[in-house]
This record gives sequence, structure tokens and C-alpha cells, in this order.
Amino acid sequence: MTQILMTSTSKKEISEKQERKGQAVHRVLLGKKQILVTEEEPLLIQLERAGIHVEYQCREGYCSSCSIKLLWGNVIYPFEPLAWVQSGYLLACCAIVKSDIEIAFFD
Amino acid sequence: MSYSTFNRKHFDSTKEPMFFGENVNVARYDQQKHPIFEKLIEKQLSFFWRPEEVDLSTDRKDFQRLEAHEQHIFLSNLKYQTLLDSVQGRSPNVALLPIVSLPELETWIETWSFSETIHSRSYTHIIRNIVNDPTKIFDDIVTNEEITKRADSVSIYYDRLIEMVNLYNTMGMGTFDIPGRGEIEISMPKLKKALYLTIASVNVLEAIRFYVSFACSFGFAERTLMEGNAKIIKLIARDEALHLTGTQHMLNLMASGKDDPEMAIIAAECQDEVRQIFIEAAEQEKEWATYLFKDGSMIGLNAQILGQYVEYITNVRMQAVGLETHFATKNNPIPWINAWLVSDNVQVAPQEAEISSYLVGQTDNSLDDSDFDDFDL
Repeated sequence: MTQILMTSTSKKEISEKQERKGQAVHRVLLGKKQILVTEEEPLLIQLERAGIHVEYQCREGYCSSCSIKLLWGNVIYPFEPLAWVQSGYLLACCAIVKSDIEIAFFD
Repeated sequence: MSYSTFNRKHFDSTKEPMFFGENVNVARYDQQKHPIFEKLIEKQLSFFWRPEEVDLSTDRKDFQRLEAHEQHIFLSNLKYQTLLDSVQGRSPNVALLPIVSLPELETWIETWSFSETIHSRSYTHIIRNIVNDPTKIFDDIVTNEEITKRADSVSIYYDRLIEMVNLYNTMGMGTFDIPGRGEIEISMPKLKKALYLTIASVNVLEAIRFYVSFACSFGFAERTLMEGNAKIIKLIARDEALHLTGTQHMLNLMASGKDDPEMAIIAAECQDEVRQIFIEAAEQEKEWATYLFKDGSMIGLNAQILGQYVEYITNVRMQAVGLETHFATKNNPIPWINAWLVSDNVQVAPQEAEISSYLVGQTDNSLDDSDFDDFDL
């Protein structure tokens, strides 16, 4: 984690604070942007907090509106979503990020 | 083969494909080939609502204050939605029940169709509340050219499948000369192709065709107009989002070959045709937006913005069934709509879920100072 290139001091503070608490922090790469996320909450809400607009509708895993490309890395679902998740995609509203990941919207 | 309402054969339904296997006999859910469909049933039942729960007395006053071109937008959308749910309230049952082979999927189809009948009843509830003569509005649905054009495209695949399945059930396989219709070839690949295209067109109906209308309803509500209507549309949108997941599962299961290997071949053959169904529906919806705004726009929405939204939502839906996106629009031009579409703020209190007769929102919306006259402090 210490090798991460920090884009702002506040992010660094967040990540240091969370690392002290023993929480895992992962990098989410989206184009040229980099967002730090924890395993405490689903990806969608953390992306939104970082000011990234993600399409959504139900926010509970059945509508598939928040489906985005997962280029690499691991996510898990605490509850299996009702929506069909295409291979190579994730459902942002209920996915918990478990490693550094890279995501992408439409081509 | 002919349809039987209680198939006497002894067979393991978990070995059957979703469609065109054995007719279902025992409605049992202890063993399931695709448990997702029972999960959808449970979710749909948890969504249960009644239009009468929503008070529309303020909407009536709002409607009278709308400008003529805004009334045109509002009523035209209601007519279009009435058409769509008239089709959806019956067609999954008529077209799919005679050919379904899994009990959990059969019950999902019935549950799905039933929820559409609630939508149809809610349009009557809305129309009765805002105009004095609902007849004029309902009668226009079968004569208005803009609406009937759309009726053709939403019913054509259903009608073709129903016709072919009727022939298959009475005559079996072969080529039949049907008076007024010409020669129709019935074979398993042809039936499966008709089915696949029907499911794709239903997915498009529920995933795209409703959304111009949804956007306008929420556009009015953003201006605190027609808010009762928006509450109903919110409930309808929640149901539709679940239904489209149902057809996405069917399409993806078919294409994957996990359910029926022959269906995977057909899905691959139909890919271009399915893309075309998506693209044509999007073009029709953009035309519809132009018709809605022919006499004037509403604040925050016009034909161009709605057209971009249609393109955007079409891309989202195409991606969900494994198709490459088609349109250049990569961003939602009306991101505020999602706050209306989200279902986590649709109120569900425990007492409403447990007591079937409990009505929410049955409060009097018209209060004035004189109502407090007999209050003494």
C-alpha cells in the first residue's frame, strides 16, 4: 500500500487511518483516475462519494443497471445478486472489492 | 404434440429445457433447474402494491393547471403505457405457458404477467382521477396512429410465436398452408427462433420502451407536479426492472447453452436480428419523444435530451444481454432520473407487508385552515 501514488493528502490520510484500524484499502483504477476503496461498503457508494457518476436503479442487485466492466482484480458479493452478471463485469451496487481492481464503463 | 394441462408422463423436470420440453405437470418447487426464477417470484411478491394506495387528488388540480402541450405529453405517455401493459398483462401467459417446461419458470411467468395487470389497473386509476371522461383516452389507444404503430412492433413477435405454437400443437411439424397467411413452416429450430426473438423483443419492451414515459413523469414530479402519478410510476418502474432481469436471465441462459444446447446455436444465429430489435426500438422511442414534444417541451426535457437518454439506456440494456453497445452516447444526459428510479426509498413498513388490506397514503391531501376550527388548546 505504501507504494501507491497518492493524488491528494486527504486520500492518504484516509488510507493511513484505515490501515491503522486494520481495514484493507484497495485501489480502483478507472481510466486515468484512481480511487481508494475499503471492504466496508459496496463499490457503487464509494465511487459516488469520489464524485464518479455510475448508472444505477435498484441499488439492491436485481436491475443490472450498475453493471460495469471489471478488467482485472477480485470482487465478491455478500449476497448473490438476482441480476445476471456477465463474465468480465461486476455489479457495483453490491460488489465488495477484495483486491486492487481496474474498471471501465462503455468502450 | 398437443398441450396437456396435466402431463401424465413421469419425468425429471430438472432435466428439461426451459421451453419446448415436456409440459409441466406438478407445480413443485422442491427441486429446481433454475432457482433464480423462484427468487424472482419471491422478490415480485415482496413488491406487491395496489394503485388505490396512492392518493391522486392533488394530481387532478395539477393536471388542470398544465399547459395544453404538457397535457398532451402526459396523456400520450399514459396511453402508450396502457398499450404496453395491455400486451404484457396477457402475452407472457398466452405465448409462453403452453411451451414452458419448468415449474419455477411457469410460476414466474404467471407472477410476472399478474404484476402487469396491476399496472393496467393503475392507469385507469390515474385517468379516472384526472379527467372526467376516461373513454376518450382509452378509445384513442386503438385509433391514434402514433400509438397503433407501436402496438404493431410490440405484438408482432408474440403473435408470430403464438400462431406457430398453435399450429405445432394441432398439426405437429411440417409446412402448412394457412388461408390468408400463406405457407408456414413448423420445425423445432423455427419454433425456438420465434421464441428467442420474442423474449428479446419483450426484454426491449420492458427495458427501453417504458423509459421515455418514466422520464416525463419524473420530469413533472421534479417540478412538484403530478406527484401521485410519479409515485405510481416509481412502483411500476421497480416491477419493470425486475421483469427485465427475468428476460435477461432467459436470454443469457439460452445463449450460454447451459439450458438447451440447440438454443445456443439459435441465439448465435439470431444475434444480428436481436441487435436490430434493440436499435429499431430505440429509433422508434426517439420518434415517440419527437411526437410528445411536437407542440412544445417541458422544463428540463426536450426531444433531443430524451433521444440521448434512449440511446444511453439502450446501450446499458444491450450490454446486459452480452451485445456490443450501438450508440455513441456514453453518459446519462438526465442523471437525476436515477434518484426517482431507485427503489430503496419506496416506503414499505412492516404493517403494510403483513396486513394485506392495509392502505398507505390514504390521507386527505386537501386541508385548509377551517379544518382546525373545532380544535381547542
